[in-house]
Amino acid sequence: MYRRAILSVYQRRSALKPPRDPRLGPPAWTHLACVPVFRAAVQLSRRAFGSAGVQLCEKKEGAPAPVAEEVKNGGETTEELQTEPKKREGAASKTEKELKDKIENRSFQETAAVQTDNTVKAKAQSPDFRTESESDSDSDSDSDSDSDSEAVSRAGAKTEENKITESAEERKSTPASPEKAKDNEVGKKGLLELLGAMKVEVTTKRKLKAPKIQRSGQEAPPRPGEMESTTSMFQQATSEAASQSETLSPELVEAASAAASTLPDSTQAKSELLRQLRKHEAVSQEQRKGETHDIGNIIADMKVGRRLNGRPNARPANQIRFDEDGRGYTHDRGITSELDGVRRRKNPFLTKRLSIFPVGAEQEPDTDLAAGPTLWDADLASQIVQVVNQRPRNGFEEMIQWTREGKLWQYPINNEAGMEEETSVPFHEHVFLERHLENGFPQQGPIRHFMELVVTGLGKNPHLSVKQKLEHIAWFRDYFQQKQDVLNEAETY
Amino acid sequence: MASSYTHVGRQIHRATKLVRRDVKDALQRRYFGLGSATFQQPAATVSGSAEEIVIPRKKTWNKEAVLQALASTVNRDPTASHYVFQDDSYLTPRTSAEFKLYSLAQESGRTAAKYFINTYPKYFQKDFANPHIPCLMPETLELQVNEVSEAALIERIQLRKVKAAVDMYDQLLQAGTPVSLDLTNDLLDLISLYGDCDPARGDAPEQRTEEMGEEQEDVKRRKGMPQKASDFLRLVWRENNNAERIFNMMPERNRRSYGALIRGMVKHGAYSKAFNTYTDLLNNRLTGDVHIFNALISAAPEVREKYVEKWDLIVDLLKQMAEQKVKPTLLTFNAVLKALRRCGSLGRTQAFPVINEMKALGIAPSLATYDHVLGIFYKAATSAQGHTEILQDVLSEISGKSFTAQDPDDVEFFKDAMRICLATKDIEQAYRVHSLLGVGENWKLLGDSYYQSIYYGRFFNLLCMMEHIDVVLKWYKELIPSLYYPNSQGMRDLLQALDTDNRLDLIPQIWKDIKRMGHDNKTELVEEMLSLMARENQIPEVQQSFADCALDVKALYTQTDRRVPLSWSAGSLSSITSILLAAERTQQAWEMLKLFKLANRVPSESLMNQFLESVKASNNAQQAVELVQISASFCLSITPNLMERVQQEFDLTEEQRNTLSDLESSTAMSD
Repeated sequence: MYRRAILSVYQRRSALKPPRDPRLGPPAWTHLACVPVFRAAVQLSRRAFGSAGVQLCEKKEGAPAPVAEEVKNGGETTEELQTEPKKREGAASKTEKELKDKIENRSFQETAAVQTDNTVKAKAQSPDFRTESESDSDSDSDSDSDSDSEAVSRAGAKTEENKITESAEERKSTPASPEKAKDNEVGKKGLLELLGAMKVEVTTKRKLKAPKIQRSGQEAPPRPGEMESTTSMFQQATSEAASQSETLSPELVEAASAAASTLPDSTQAKSELLRQLRKHEAVSQEQRKGETHDIGNIIADMKVGRRLNGRPNARPANQIRFDEDGRGYTHDRGITSELDGVRRRKNPFLTKRLSIFPVGAEQEPDTDLAAGPTLWDADLASQIVQVVNQRPRNGFEEMIQWTREGKLWQYPINNEAGMEEETSVPFHEHVFLERHLENGFPQQGPIRHFMELVVTGLGKNPHLSVKQKLEHIAWFRDYFQQKQDVLNEAETY
Repeated sequence: MASSYTHVGRQIHRATKLVRRDVKDALQRRYFGLGSATFQQPAATVSGSAEEIVIPRKKTWNKEAVLQALASTVNRDPTASHYVFQDDSYLTPRTSAEFKLYSLAQESGRTAAKYFINTYPKYFQKDFANPHIPCLMPETLELQVNEVSEAALIERIQLRKVKAAVDMYDQLLQAGTPVSLDLTNDLLDLISLYGDCDPARGDAPEQRTEEMGEEQEDVKRRKGMPQKASDFLRLVWRENNNAERIFNMMPERNRRSYGALIRGMVKHGAYSKAFNTYTDLLNNRLTGDVHIFNALISAAPEVREKYVEKWDLIVDLLKQMAEQKVKPTLLTFNAVLKALRRCGSLGRTQAFPVINEMKALGIAPSLATYDHVLGIFYKAATSAQGHTEILQDVLSEISGKSFTAQDPDDVEFFKDAMRICLATKDIEQAYRVHSLLGVGENWKLLGDSYYQSIYYGRFFNLLCMMEHIDVVLKWYKELIPSLYYPNSQGMRDLLQALDTDNRLDLIPQIWKDIKRMGHDNKTELVEEMLSLMARENQIPEVQQSFADCALDVKALYTQTDRRVPLSWSAGSLSSITSILLAAERTQQAWEMLKLFKLANRVPSESLMNQFLESVKASNNAQQAVELVQISASFCLSITPNLMERVQQEFDLTEEQRNTLSDLESSTAMSD
């Protein structure tokens, strides 16, 4: 039973093998690229994922046959070339030309656009990648993109195939193989530089668009951390692309001369190689310049469709990071990545706000609030009181409740406790009572003297309220007025 | 002589004048010193060269400060019942029902007293208190002013007599007296608030709110209807009610008039009408105030169907607020978030921007805000996958903060947070929620006793599920019965936790609590406990305590004075019997066997086998024969088997053999 299963599996696998071979290309090639001879290839390896991705994409779109064919062709050519090193150079340039032709025939913007998406997706390698690619690319560019990506994948496949075969006969073909690799690389480099340039376009577009789409309310809040990471990543990629275009050329020259020196007439070969290279460099730069202008527009159109999809755009970036083998851009993202982590944890409370209300602007004070609490306020307060747990948990809390209700004498918090009636009365009202003698009393004489003494005594009395003191004075006033006759008789008034 | 007196008098007069001036200066200085310590601070720093003297600001204490400090020293006693019951030990509640009953009794006693005082104020005029305590005096609820005047209208509005106020207003208009705009607005407020019905008296003998609470609980339990269902049914905004009528009669209307109408409409469910009134307001070139917008935002989800439309309407309202320079409040944003709860997935994307807007405006979110966020992200129906971190985020945002109640929805937070913890089985977050409850005055926001029981019920359920039994028991002692009276489901959870961690020996102890909490009449709980005890053999001591417990249960079953007597089931009977057998209490087990007949239940075959084993252990042939007889009387299929074993394994007398053979023949006959 098991044997049968295994057998059938084996058959399946063997049946699967031929079409899978090209698919296995990229990893094999990366390994090979580690061989020191292919140093240039290593440098390119990062950029090369573009074509590899395209290839993958192509496969999924269900056109493996031409690729396989192409690969075979490539294999044949290389085998031929290996036997005859001299011809091989010509063939290499031929492949190069093919590639260039293809590139020129294409409408560049679209390819590039498709490529960016594909690149991202190939890296993500998510199962729903097809749907995404469909939703991403505009409907009008769909038909073109198919053929374009095909072509690119062909090129990619060819280079890979080349390298595989080369690795098989590594030592034998050492003199020629770097050249070829380089040639192919240059071809790819053109493409990849385009990619680098275009990626920047994408990110800036995204940055600009983010707030707008945010407001439309269709989308998950973009996580700033991840946005950041994507941006920085792409920026880095561009900067490297720029540096590569400059730093690679002396290396290329060096490698070319090294390659040429192994050939019979070295100087001629070298000059030929270099001419070829320069020509290619110029073409690719031209292409890049031409492309970057138009791509912006197209990508601007494309991105909207994708974001309407409601998919958080940060996700592919995430997965890219995880898919990288550690030599990629993760390790040198430095502080950005750390900050990224911090941000992600606090994420929801640090996202952007609605931005409807102006901050800090002093708004009109509410005139109704000045009028005192309305019935509605009282209703709200009573609603809150009803739902809140008001049961006291201990005796002190019960006393607090009573204090609030006014049932309990307040606990003394200063030495004026219990003087509610007198709180509004200032101190001097208590002490300086003389002004109350102004009317109703004589201005001088014994009664006045007596009353001044009374007032002094009252002023020192802490136990009576001001009201009581005034009553006291008033009593004397009445008393002396009643006794006025007697006093007049005694001539003291 | 006289002149000398006058001279002295003048001297004194002058002196006092001087003194007065001095003292006034001194006073001013003193006040100055007290009032603005900050102002003095720089002066101190200038003069103080070596040692800086920082004069602290004057601190104003509120009148409860001392009591609050004292109250903070008191810890909760987990062995005591709630403080409100401590006056009377007889009224210490043991069950949740008793808790409710006693606390309601206390409340209703107070309300009854208040009712009498307010109904017969003339008997309660003597004021014993000095200083006067206003809240102890009867409130005047009767109308004092009877002639037609504005004063009468004001009085009626203050006493919240809606119908009388409307009548008075009409009479005033008929008499041709103009009513001022403010007063009319007050009247509109009153009518709108109460939906043109007289409000029930707050101190009516039957505690209205409590009863409503009960009703709502029932409704919620049965149908899961929204909380305010009864409110909506009771009060509806009728077409052309007095508020609208008066509003239309008003010669001039200002923002408040519109506001009263709109808020009343929203409160009483006339949502689209409220929006129409708002349009009128704008057409009259007035602007809304924050209350109008709050009401409209809370009504927004009612007038639109699609999520996007709802949200667009809310955003539109917010933008209008900003245009009209209306400053939003906490309630505005809470209303927005509450509306977002009904916007499906849209809410998830917009919730945090709303909160960040609040923060940008310097409005501190209340617990209701966070509750709405949780409600948006954790729908009851859908699984909470993918948003598990939201609760964490919220908790790390608010942990350690003390909240005050600002929104009636604040009390929902703890309950809902615990529900999410339970749904996601996240004990860590549950502990965090619980520790948040202990911060400051947050315990007040747990809500009334019903909410408390839900919260603690969920917490305890989660503990039983996730924690080790020792921790569970620690919490059990902590929470029960001082804070929480678990329902029978809670006790079953506890039993299951005991079972999981193999601590069945604690069952007798738990049984005591079950009895005390009045769950001993819940058949399911009792039977589960019995079956747990009967399931496997324990060490002898435990087995003895199980047997005591089982006898206790048996006594409950045989009690006749209960309102709802427990009825024996086959399971409970055989569980008790086998517990007794395992404890080697053969005599009592034998009595149990007789109960089967009385209760018309049939013992299981394994039980009969168990019986035979125990009879064999005591080697009582007579009992063995009786067992076979009983078995035969139940027509158990195991009878022949038992008979055979009895004949083989026991030394039977002749008589016994005869009985057996008689039985054999009779069973054979019946077969």
